[in-house]
Amino acid sequence: MLRVDEVVTVAVDKNGQPIGFAWRGENFLVSAPPIRWFARREWWNEAARVQRGIGAGVLEVEMWRLLACGVAKAKSQFELVHSTSDGIWRLVRVFE
Amino acid sequence: MSEFIHLHVASAFSGHYGVTRPEMMVEAAASRGESALAITDRDGLYGAVKHIGACLKMGISPIVGVDLETVDESGLSLGRVVVLAHGHDGGLGWAALCAIVSTAHRKTRKQQSPSIERSELARLAVRDGVALVTVLVGNNSDVGEAALAGNRTLTAERLKNWRKAFISTRALVVEITSHLTEPGSPFCNLQANRLLQLADSMGIPAVLTNAVRYLEPDDAITADVLDAARHLEPLGMFTLQPNAQAWLKPASKMQALAVEITQDRVRAKSLLDTTMALADRCRLNPPNDCGWGKPKTPEKSTLGIDGNPFEVLWQKANSAIEWRYPRASDNQLANIRHRLSQELITINRLGFATYFLTVADVTQMIRDMKIRIAARGSGAGSLTNYLLGISGVDPIEHELLFERFLSTERSSLPDIDIDVESARRHDIYREIFKRYGSNRVTLLSMQSTYRGRGAMRDSGLALGLDDEQIDDIAKNMWRFSARTFRNALGTKPELAALAQSVESDRQMSLLVDITERLDRLPRHISMHPCGVILGDATLLNLTPVETSGMGLPMSQFDKDDMDPMGFLKLDVLGVRMQSAMAYAVRELERVKGEKLELDEIPRDDAETFKQIRTTNTLGIFQIESPGQRELTGKHQPTEFNDLTIQISLFRPGPMKGNMIAPYLDGRHGFATPEYLHPDLEPILRETYGVVIFHEHVLRIFNVMTGCGLAKADEFRRNLENPRLAPQVAVFFKQKAKDKGYSQDTIDKVWATLEGFGSFGFCKAHGAAFAMPTYQSAWLKTHYPTEFMAGLFTHDPGMYPKRLLLAEARRLGVRLLPLDVNHSTDEYLVQPAPRVTTDPDEPAFGIRMALTEIQGVSEAEIKRVIEHQPYTDVADFYLRAKPSRRTLERLATVGALDQLANVDSHTRGDIVMRVRELNSVVKRPNLDPKQPMLDFTVTERMPTGNTEMSTEDRVVAELAILKMDISGHILDKYRPMLDAMGVTRSDELVHLRSKTEVLVVGVRVATQTPPMRSGKRVVFITLDDGHGCSDSTFFDEAQQRCASTLFNTKLLLISAKTRRTGVRGVSLMAENAWDLKELWVNWVKDQQNKEAPAFADAS
Repeated sequence: MLRVDEVVTVAVDKNGQPIGFAWRGENFLVSAPPIRWFARREWWNEAARVQRGIGAGVLEVEMWRLLACGVAKAKSQFELVHSTSDGIWRLVRVFE
Repeated sequence: MSEFIHLHVASAFSGHYGVTRPEMMVEAAASRGESALAITDRDGLYGAVKHIGACLKMGISPIVGVDLETVDESGLSLGRVVVLAHGHDGGLGWAALCAIVSTAHRKTRKQQSPSIERSELARLAVRDGVALVTVLVGNNSDVGEAALAGNRTLTAERLKNWRKAFISTRALVVEITSHLTEPGSPFCNLQANRLLQLADSMGIPAVLTNAVRYLEPDDAITADVLDAARHLEPLGMFTLQPNAQAWLKPASKMQALAVEITQDRVRAKSLLDTTMALADRCRLNPPNDCGWGKPKTPEKSTLGIDGNPFEVLWQKANSAIEWRYPRASDNQLANIRHRLSQELITINRLGFATYFLTVADVTQMIRDMKIRIAARGSGAGSLTNYLLGISGVDPIEHELLFERFLSTERSSLPDIDIDVESARRHDIYREIFKRYGSNRVTLLSMQSTYRGRGAMRDSGLALGLDDEQIDDIAKNMWRFSARTFRNALGTKPELAALAQSVESDRQMSLLVDITERLDRLPRHISMHPCGVILGDATLLNLTPVETSGMGLPMSQFDKDDMDPMGFLKLDVLGVRMQSAMAYAVRELERVKGEKLELDEIPRDDAETFKQIRTTNTLGIFQIESPGQRELTGKHQPTEFNDLTIQISLFRPGPMKGNMIAPYLDGRHGFATPEYLHPDLEPILRETYGVVIFHEHVLRIFNVMTGCGLAKADEFRRNLENPRLAPQVAVFFKQKAKDKGYSQDTIDKVWATLEGFGSFGFCKAHGAAFAMPTYQSAWLKTHYPTEFMAGLFTHDPGMYPKRLLLAEARRLGVRLLPLDVNHSTDEYLVQPAPRVTTDPDEPAFGIRMALTEIQGVSEAEIKRVIEHQPYTDVADFYLRAKPSRRTLERLATVGALDQLANVDSHTRGDIVMRVRELNSVVKRPNLDPKQPMLDFTVTERMPTGNTEMSTEDRVVAELAILKMDISGHILDKYRPMLDAMGVTRSDELVHLRSKTEVLVVGVRVATQTPPMRSGKRVVFITLDDGHGCSDSTFFDEAQQRCASTLFNTKLLLISAKTRRTGVRGVSLMAENAWDLKELWVNWVKDQQNKEAPAFADAS
């Protein structure tokens, strides 16, 4: 398993499900229904403010587990974090 | 799209777990068009009544249940399940739910959380083969746990055990919940799916819930902090909630979730349908299911009545006229009878006869117990209450109105509050349980809520800040709503330092945010300090009970829940002043053989009013606070009604309504009273034309519109409501015009009513308070020794005991030192040998009690009293068996002085002797049959140790007793204070206005009363051994001394005097300093002044 933490560009369908992403100059296409869950963050170590109404984004992130393959590469499993507060996607794990 | 009904919802009344108040949940659900909503608080029905009330208001069906821990026969945990009451079954479901909750709490031993045995739950869930509740077994149960682990066999076996327990009933369903967590962790889709498949294979119905903890995702942050408070550990040190999914999701989200869990649209639909069907089964009809709004009183038989309760009440009240009005003329008697008839007609029309008989029965019971009792509140306005002995205030003499208390215009149960001796309160509760049976009586509970400091402390804990840091911040949080903490940072000078660190320190900034989040949330449940619920034999079918701190059962409902549930609540309030006065009366009889009936003393004693007018009112009920003392100086009361007025004036309403100044101007002849119309003069004469009392408003309405007093009280209430006030205006103006009042008069009177009406105070309440005020003043005037002994023993006031000690000295009361041969656990009045030749020297004094010794145990005190008297120090050591620490403390403060010959031995010798005894490893046991040769035969007192100086004695007394007996704390600083030219507090009254002064003293009170302008004003009261000085800090002064304002104990204040009346003087503070700091610097300066010769030489 490879641990990374890189911002990636993700293409999603109308339900918000990822269908493909670009990483290190290569395009990956999702090849099976992805698995989604919600994980949490340690806001007391990270956030500057948590006032009422700031939203669950400081506490919660959306996680996606994808099977995808690149043009030149075999199928691999990827884990992406989608921050609901700023919409940024980060690739965090690659299982080869 | 079809609706979704949430069946598993924890409200904020799930202590340290739920986040959202029930009313907000209901409002959200109703506004989305949901037709019902459940509340299932953890371990109880704490939020249920508020939930039902909110549902009725919003027009949706309430569903009520509980989230409970279950165990098997051997006490092993089976996890948590939800139990929902079925509705529309004549209250059987509700009663079963109450019984289940009460049972779960009955099994609770101390420290253990509530739980119910599964077989017990199953037994209570069904009656005659009909299910009364439905039990939801889901993720938090033992079944859910096995499903998560993926053990199919175990999961099936566990669910079978549940089915077996609930055999042949429809009381069991499987609860399907997913919080969309990582696959394989609790509350993931997989766990939900496995439970669903198992339920299907066993043919057990399944329902979908979201195990809700909060209204919106944003609230999850608050939930984190509550979790930390529950675990008593900082965030990150315990297992956290997995994400922010436990919110009250709308139907669309729940439907999508059903599809995501089942992966099957058809199965998803049937899951949602089953959920809806269960919801329908649990919709409650509050009046029929919960007895909502139906008044319940004890059965006639328990009150010893046969026949019609109203006839009994009529009989009782009428036959008491002779007792209460023995000297009334025929004319007066006719008036009394007329008024009584009117009151009784109202009471009968409302169906409250049994209620009054019940309260009368309880008060009679208390009187039979020889406990002092007094009514408080609007109930004192009722002649019926006076005749039944519930109240001791004559409503006719004091011109109080029944209609302010009760009228046919309102149907809520009236509130009768009674004050009793605080020290006997628990005895009364036990007696009430005994008299009416524990199936008809419970105590009332109280939900305490997070307020400023508490919210801050738990927030600090969650963030892992250290205690000292939190304490420092908490000390400066002074009476503001933590909800607006960040706002307060910018405006309050004492928070300036914190504001700065919030700018630079991220953690501090978070602290402020989460403190704001916690503010006002329910924190924990406890026993209400005075409420008792009296019902009929069905009471325990209507409310769940748990064990209170004092061991008696307590309802899980609070005072706001009483009226909606139709419960008769009696406030039996423990008042320390009543205990103090009872104690004084007892001591008077014990020591001097004088019998005193305090309730029958004349109410016009000139000496008493003279004593009050000196403003030395410390220890007198209601008028001892700094503000009341100042008002006393200006007001100079001369009769009982003046006390009623003064107590009523010094309340938030009249103060905000600016009633004090015009009243005083009228009273002292500075202004001519303005009565607006001759018809109003009789009403307002007592207050020089100022509308102060609710009773004034009622009478004015009645006189000018002829609407009747009952209707008038409705108008008075509506005046406070901006929506209803305009209608009142229309009515008043029209009717007054019809009665022939001029437009000018009408406009003027209306302006007064509109402006003053909502600020007024209930005169009955003021008069009820004035009674103990007068009684305590009377005792202080005529029996100061006995009275002060009562104050010391029962500590009723707002001031520290050391200040009362100074007041006793000022009154010439003799204080007798601690003495192990004469001191007990109370401040006894004892004969004292004369020490002067003064013929006025009192022959009695107050013996200091052993209870003030720091760290002394009740058992130690008991032993000391049991073995009195003692012959010498060793005898005391052997028989009273004090701990080493207590023995040395007793010696240090002189409690052993009388056991040594103080002519030949110093305090130092006694302390030395005690240390010798304390160095013996094992205290020899006293055996009466075995003479102890080596130890007790001769007392060997050492000699030659130095005597303790007065200053050392004071230091020791403050450390050990928290009181300065041998001298005053400030004595030590005298040289500096003299050099500075500090003014004594008793000299202030002789100074001209605007004199610049320095005053000094120990802080005894800090107050920030409500001000008309809305600006904060801080009052600080200092004691300097000669009395008290009261300084007022306005904005600018607060800025100057932000750091000393709330924290510093010994203060020096610079101020200007301001004369406010004959005996009234207050101080406008300019600055304040910490006396100890000044002292250190002054001492240094003195040394430098003496030392320059040495400095030069070196």
